[in-house]
Amino acid sequence: MSRYLGQVWALAAKDLRVELRTKERFAAMGAFVVLVSVLFYYAVDWTILSPQDVASALIWMIIILAGLLGLGRTFELEKEEGAMEGLLVAPVPRDALFLGKVLANCLLLGSVELVAVFAVSLFFQVDFAQNWLGIAAVLALGTVGFVSLGTLFAGITAGTRMGETLLPILLFPVLVPLVAFGAASTASLLAGFPPAAVFGSLRIIAAFSLINLVSGMGLFRFIVEE
Amino acid sequence: MSLRSIRQGALILGFLGVGLTLLFHWMVFFWVSTEATLGISQRIFYIHVAGMWTGMLAFIVVAVCSAMFLWLRDDRLDQIGQAAAEGGLIFFAVGLTAGPLWARLAWGTWWTWEPRLTLSLLAFFVYFGYLMVRGATENRERGKTFAAVIGVVGAINIPLIHVSVLWFRSLHPEPVVARTDGPALPADMLITMLTALLAWTVLLFALILLRYGAARLEARAEERALQRGATV
Repeated sequence: MSRYLGQVWALAAKDLRVELRTKERFAAMGAFVVLVSVLFYYAVDWTILSPQDVASALIWMIIILAGLLGLGRTFELEKEEGAMEGLLVAPVPRDALFLGKVLANCLLLGSVELVAVFAVSLFFQVDFAQNWLGIAAVLALGTVGFVSLGTLFAGITAGTRMGETLLPILLFPVLVPLVAFGAASTASLLAGFPPAAVFGSLRIIAAFSLINLVSGMGLFRFIVEE
Repeated sequence: MSLRSIRQGALILGFLGVGLTLLFHWMVFFWVSTEATLGISQRIFYIHVAGMWTGMLAFIVVAVCSAMFLWLRDDRLDQIGQAAAEGGLIFFAVGLTAGPLWARLAWGTWWTWEPRLTLSLLAFFVYFGYLMVRGATENRERGKTFAAVIGVVGAINIPLIHVSVLWFRSLHPEPVVARTDGPALPADMLITMLTALLAWTVLLFALILLRYGAARLEARAEERALQRGATV
């Protein structure tokens, strides 16, 4: 077991190391998050709506759009110079490969989410501090589900002519449970409800994430085989 | 199954399906009694429900074929899955067109976030992706696998989507809308409904067989072209 976890971590660490050195994806996603927040500010008539009304929708849509941007490039590195073949001949099970990618993507998206929360609270004066633990739990659980599906589908789209254009078409229909319950529970937490009030939604998000993580582990080996 | 028997089966089912379709349209327009509260617009209901039902049935076929294809690697399973996905999209398109028409007359709005309508729309796009990926992959073998993976992921997630769109209403209560499908449908409406379901189920299987036969021919043509050393 510890050997398996070590393999997963080694694979994730490889991706994170590359990311830390280039900071390409983080920079792009971080800039995207800030800029899309600015556009949202000008897109909404604030005399009708208060930021509190739309804060959870904002944060979720920003995260999903930014996530899409980053997830689409998950296998970009492996496309070059036969790096994918190199990974595939490594003596690690395919599901460890998938988990490594998911872990690296989760950590990357998690750090982008911090930027998103900061940007939304700065630009829209939304108070995330009360109930921060509950909001962090919702976002963390949701991220696992989103990234699991996104990483699996990114593996598919990387092998097609259409590439990243195809990713939202595959991903968005199946994200409905996550967005519905994620945004609703974030809204309740922002409105000051106690974390116990969103426990039911949290369980649904956890179930969604777990199911997609496990099915991704099972299905990943089909999409990378040559 | 030989190509000849596929063709014969498709023809028989096709004629039967078209005949039953004509019959149920006649029933919808001339035979069945008009519903008391909704009036004539309720007749759209038969077409809408039959379209949705057939679409969902097709996608169960896609899900089963996708999972079996990943397991057994039999090309025929992939071809049936592809045929069912294409057929299902047609029937969903019919159902999703008839749904808003009916909603406009019954509820005064083109679109409502009614759980079954929402689910059908999302399922439509899951399988739209299934076909798009297949078309966008240069290596045909990989395209088949990709599509099958999407078929399986879709099948796993559709129950989750279903639960979500059902429960989402309890999060955001909406005004309760009158539903026409009361506890008991009068006999003539029930017969019309069942005829419609039967007609399009038969037609779906006719389309699947036809498309499956075509896919077999395509595969054979490709094989021969490869043997001749040419590329298609």
